[in-house]
This record gives sequence, C-alpha cells and structure tokens, in this order.
Amino acid sequence: MSPAAALSLASFVALLMLGLALLISTVRIIIGPTLADRVLALDLLTVVAMGFVAAIAIRTGLTLYLDIAIALALLGFLATIALARYIMSRRLKSGGAPQ
Amino acid sequence: MITDLLVYTGCVVLVLGAAFTLIASIGVVRLPDLYTRMHAASKAGAVGGGLVLLAVALTCFDAGVALRAVVGIVFLLLTTPVGAHLLARANHHITDQKLNDGSITQLKSRNRRNPQR
Amino acid sequence: MSVAVIVLGLALLWAAMTGSFSGLNLLLGAAIGTLAVLLLRKSLAQPRAVHKLRMAVSLAGLFLRELALSAVRVAIVVLTPNLKSALHPEIVAFPLSVRSDAEITLLANLITLTPGTLSIDVSADRSVLYVHVLTASTSQNVIVEIANGFEARVRELFA
Repeated sequence: MSPAAALSLASFVALLMLGLALLISTVRIIIGPTLADRVLALDLLTVVAMGFVAAIAIRTGLTLYLDIAIALALLGFLATIALARYIMSRRLKSGGAPQ
Repeated sequence: MITDLLVYTGCVVLVLGAAFTLIASIGVVRLPDLYTRMHAASKAGAVGGGLVLLAVALTCFDAGVALRAVVGIVFLLLTTPVGAHLLARANHHITDQKLNDGSITQLKSRNRRNPQR
Repeated sequence: MSVAVIVLGLALLWAAMTGSFSGLNLLLGAAIGTLAVLLLRKSLAQPRAVHKLRMAVSLAGLFLRELALSAVRVAIVVLTPNLKSALHPEIVAFPLSVRSDAEITLLANLITLTPGTLSIDVSADRSVLYVHVLTASTSQNVIVEIANGFEARVRELFA
C-alpha cells in the first residue's frame, strides 16, 4: 500500500470512529442526569470535535484546519471552566434548592 | 524512505487516537457515576485528542505546523486535568454522591442539605 | 557554556517556527534568543537551573509513560463486559506534605492524568488532597504510591 493510500484509509477509519464518538457522547448530554454529567459530556464532545477537525486536516492536507482544532480545544476548556463555576454559583445562590 | 515510515506511523497513531476517543465516549455513557465517567473523559479523551494531534505533526512534513501541533498537545495535557478537577470540585461542593461500594463522600458538610438526585 | 546551548536551542526553535532554516533566519533567531536570555538572566542565573531543567524533563518523561499506561487501563475498564466487578471506586484522603500553590497544582494535575486516580479537592487548610480512585486495591497503597512517586519528584523539583 502506498503511503498516500494508507493515509487516506487511516483518516477515513479515524473519521468514522470520531463521528461515532460524537454521537455516543451526545447520548450522555441528552440523558444527563445531572448538569455536571452534561458539562462533562460537552467537554468530551469538544475534544472529539477537535480530533475530528485534526483528522480532516490530515485527510485534506490543509494545515489551516490545525489552527481551528487548537482554537476549538481552547474554547472547550474555557466553556468547561465557565460551566463548572456556574454549577457552583447556582447552588450557592439558590440556597440549596434543587434544579 | 524515512518520510514513508513517518506517514505509516502517523496512520497508526491517528487510528489509535480515534480509538481512544471513541473508548472515552463509550466510557462516559457506560460508567455508573460522575467521577468514574470523569476518569474516562479526562484520561482517554486527552490521550486520544493528543494522539490525533501527534498524527498531524507526523504527517505534515512542515516544522512550523509540527511545532504548532506539539504545542497543541502540551496545551491539551495541561488544560484537561484542570477542567476535570474544576468540574469534580463543583460537583463535590453541591452533592454528596453515594459511590458504588457504599462509601459516602462527606468531605464537606456545609452543603449537605439537598443531595441532587 | 549552558547559555550558548540555550541560545542555540532558541535559534533552532525560531527557525522551526518560521519554517525556514536559512543562515540569515537562524542568525535572527539567535539574536532574538540572546535578547531573551539577557532579559531572563536573573532567573537563569540560579545555581541549579540546569540540574532542575534535567529533573523537569525526567519528570515529564515519567509523566508521559504513566499517561499512556493510565489511558490503556481506563480503556480496559471501559471495555470490560462485566463493569461492576471491574470497578471499585473510592475517595482517598491523601495527606499533602508539599505546601506551596505551585507544588499542589502540579501534583494535582499529575495525579489526574495518571493511572486510576483523579484529584477532586484540596481541603481549606491545604493539608489534604482528596483523590478519587477508580480501582482501589487499598487506600493505603494509593497513598504510599503517590507519596513515593510524584510527590517526592515534585518536592525535589521545587527544592
């Protein structure tokens, strides 16, 4: 197998797996049960999406996609921090009332 | 010759990274409580994402791009545990989660009024 | 001698970043590297800076090995058909002997990405780190492992 063909096959398989991972982590976002579970799944979803974009960068050979992937990872991190803080402050503000 | 070897290695690393990410998402759905799910998301997720970025570095043949990918990996490995830690801390502050083996986490008693489930 | 190595490394890094290894570009990188070293000469002048750098690199190597191991172990647990028997989650209170913010932060992050452990919270007086363990053998084992492994290395690094 030539290197180009191997790369094409590997990126196809990787994109398939990452797409499946996107779907599966969406299941956890939907079923919850707590907000923290959903935030965790959302965090994983951004990492998976980052991997997806990076795999597209390999498949198309456009390295510009790499910058998008890194920016996405940064965005996911900030979103997780913000949501974690929100989980904490929401409980403190509402004085222990359930959601 | 050496470039071919790099590309083949990149292929293996890419599929391995995608597999770890897939396992992380399966773990997030299969595992029974938030903390165990966090193990799957933070470890397998970070390793999976890092390996995919490593595959980009191996197959691009451009020192600048490879360096950016490596910086991305370092960034991912630095931020993932911080994110997981913050989320675990937030959850720990608002709940007393009953773990599988029956041990209850009562590290802080001030927020015990209303377990979330 | 070590300054020359740092400048050379920075010049190569510059060339890699800008994507051109021409002589002029390397020279520019070396000039910028020299400027950076001049700006940082106070912190570089620490007596054991090189020794510490070596220790940090060896800690990073250990960390990468443990990270690979931990990902494989989590993957095995996730893919076990009988999940209940593979899991023994537990929260362990780990008594901290390191005190500064930087040391605790580094240790907590290292713990999170190593096999079977996840740091959850630090007690208000900074004496205890709460660690969640995925497959605990005994909590005593976990404590001894962390204390002799990463905590010792971190303390050495900041000493």
